[in-house]
Amino acid sequence: MTNSATAGPAERAAGIRKIVYYQEEVLLENGTRPPVPALRATAAAVIPNPWIGTAPDKDLAEESRTVAPQIAQILTDRLIEGLGGVDRIEAFGKAAIVGSSGEIEHAGALIHTPYFGNLVREFLEGSSIICFADDRAEAGQPLVVPMWHKTEAATRSHYQTITARISDGPRPDEIVVVAAASTGPRPHARIGDRATDPAVTSRILEGAPA
Amino acid sequence: MNVRKIITLVEETLTEGGRPVEPNARVAVVAAVIENPWRGQGFVEDLTAGIDEAASRVGELLAPRVVKALGGTVEAYGKAAIVGLDGEIEHGSALIHTLKFGDHFRNAANATTLLPAVEKRGPAGVTFDIPLKHVTDATIRSHHQSIEVRLADAPHPGEIVIALAAASQGRPQQRLAPLSTEQ
Repeated sequence: MTNSATAGPAERAAGIRKIVYYQEEVLLENGTRPPVPALRATAAAVIPNPWIGTAPDKDLAEESRTVAPQIAQILTDRLIEGLGGVDRIEAFGKAAIVGSSGEIEHAGALIHTPYFGNLVREFLEGSSIICFADDRAEAGQPLVVPMWHKTEAATRSHYQTITARISDGPRPDEIVVVAAASTGPRPHARIGDRATDPAVTSRILEGAPA
Repeated sequence: MNVRKIITLVEETLTEGGRPVEPNARVAVVAAVIENPWRGQGFVEDLTAGIDEAASRVGELLAPRVVKALGGTVEAYGKAAIVGLDGEIEHGSALIHTLKFGDHFRNAANATTLLPAVEKRGPAGVTFDIPLKHVTDATIRSHHQSIEVRLADAPHPGEIVIALAAASQGRPQQRLAPLSTEQ
């Protein structure tokens, strides 16, 4: 239920300054216990931005290949241990926050290539595209990270978010990389699904027959 | 005592000041979001009933979780009570400034000293810093430290966030002379 993984040589090789694991367990929502209780968590790594001082035409591929896979492994290890095993994880998401001296493109280079996304999907045993958020921000700014079902992305009950925040990161020359996961649906998910939705168009809403 | 949410935060610091921290420095926080036992009652002169209802139970809930989250010997510790906007700071103090609350953590951490604390009132999403000191000798300067915490949607106006913090070491790169050298 909690994360006691300890940073070792892999984390040091990746140049990580700090790793932050954050977990939420909702016991009551609107005063009632969720019928399917879920744990939500983020694992975040604060790393030096490898592209500080480079031009906007710099090819980002080399650093993506070397840095992103290590971060994917480290963050998913923590999610799996913290949430009680990969089999318990049902939804996932990812995010990056670039410090003010970097480009948003640098965030993309770490989380939107196969060197991160494919590996997070593989390690968390999913098949969906991973939904995401990215931002450029000062240290301590919260970022809402979206998640959806890891194998059935359109499963509406699993559309959910968790807020990631590192109190002293990213510094201007750092990037915070986040992986997020949940063991279940929203607390009282009850807004139907694609299979149960009525037909809705603007003409139908204006009174035309369905 | 109604608990809406429990959060766990574990921070590991691998470098500080550009140098490696070995072993890495770990600090853990576990917080419970509970209903303010005195909500909606106006000014309550005697807080004993609410203390009896909640203080020991929330201490018992949090203490084993924060020790487990840290995953090692607790060398420094601290506590927090963050009161939602409809409550008094005295309500938070009532729940954490009693042996009924703190002894659960003291026993779980083999600790003997007073727990340093932060008490504050604020909206959901307010940030707060939990001070930590050494668990058996509060004068050990290397272990004076703090950790910053924020819960995205707590405390609501009628709630209180109660938190415990534990560290497995002093500050990263601590290198101040001990108190005894100045006495």
